[in-house]
Amino acid sequence: MRIAALALLVCPAGLLGQASPPAHTSASPDFAGVWRRSRRAPDNKRQYTVAELVQPLGDPPPMTAWGQARFNAAKPNIGPRSVPFAESNDPTTQCLPPGIPRLYTVMLGAPFELLQVPGRIIMFFENNHYVRQIFIDGRPHSDDTGPTYLGDAIGKWEGTTLVVDTVGFNDKTWLDTFGHPHSDALHLVERFQRAKNDVLTDDISINDPKAYTKPWLSHMIFDHEPGWNIQELVCEDNLNFKDLQKLSESHK
Amino acid sequence: MKDIEGVSMRSRPLVLAFALVGVLLSSAPVFAHHGAVAYDMKKVTTLQGTVSEFRYTNPHSEIYFDVVDANGKTQKWVAEAVSVPAMSRSGWTKNSLKPGDKVSVTGNVAKNGTFTMRFASLTFPDGRKLTYERAEDYAQ
Repeated sequence: MRIAALALLVCPAGLLGQASPPAHTSASPDFAGVWRRSRRAPDNKRQYTVAELVQPLGDPPPMTAWGQARFNAAKPNIGPRSVPFAESNDPTTQCLPPGIPRLYTVMLGAPFELLQVPGRIIMFFENNHYVRQIFIDGRPHSDDTGPTYLGDAIGKWEGTTLVVDTVGFNDKTWLDTFGHPHSDALHLVERFQRAKNDVLTDDISINDPKAYTKPWLSHMIFDHEPGWNIQELVCEDNLNFKDLQKLSESHK
Repeated sequence: MKDIEGVSMRSRPLVLAFALVGVLLSSAPVFAHHGAVAYDMKKVTTLQGTVSEFRYTNPHSEIYFDVVDANGKTQKWVAEAVSVPAMSRSGWTKNSLKPGDKVSVTGNVAKNGTFTMRFASLTFPDGRKLTYERAEDYAQ
């Protein structure tokens, strides 16, 4: 593994923006580009039901008592337990970072750009320009990690699969819009693969024994959007939308 | 110009033209980073109005427009739209709307009777249409 990491340092994957990107080795497939959680017209690969749109991670495993208590305290603005916007404690309605994996789905599935640079893979999210660094230089997790919103991410190539291991989260974010919680013991393992039709898949294992009785396994599909640039999307820019929501929910 | 006048004259007696498209969804759709619980998602309404302000901004753009009711009284409406990137990828720009533009605005109005709407699309008198991708449009 150490040798593989060194090989990656010597032969880095292409850095976006270079006039002539270096050749990719079989150990470092090209994942670079702008990706967005698939919402295209349904076809065989991309067919979403209402339930999947609203709950992209699927049904969670049973919660622990701690997890259930946190879930009960969550007041989502979407889904079967919806409360009015003004009463919701969804962190994203306060423009707080959505965390991982919710950054993949919130804001209508705002895209991210995946950049491959020596020793790192960088996810540059449109949403508030959050940056997620995935270190692929062979380092272990930091001893002094977190608690953070995006966690401490290290990765490695297993053939053509990018395996990303993330710990060091705080417990301030929700995993989905329904208010499913996680603790600071959250451990994400993601397996990214570039499939046919310019699709990036992510098999996510959400491991959080403090909140759930077993791992929550999810599968996410991202579409390549070659004509897109990451734009500015500052959540705090127009907080007037909160007043508008309150007005539309007010009792006349 | 003549078309604009014509539409304006025709639309005046109509004022509130309701277009019931039917039940789109049985559950709450994803709406950016907050829900649509305030809006009647089972009914799509079209209003004839005049743009007073266009706020092209994040995380939600807003379209302010005036609608004259059956008694000749002006109703101040606001339609909540989505983020700038999401709209720009559907062809919107900051110059898409200007005060005074005559438009037919379609969306889901608030259940509580306030003049607020969840935007879906708008049409100019010459037939040009502006819309964008909405999550529930892909809901099957």
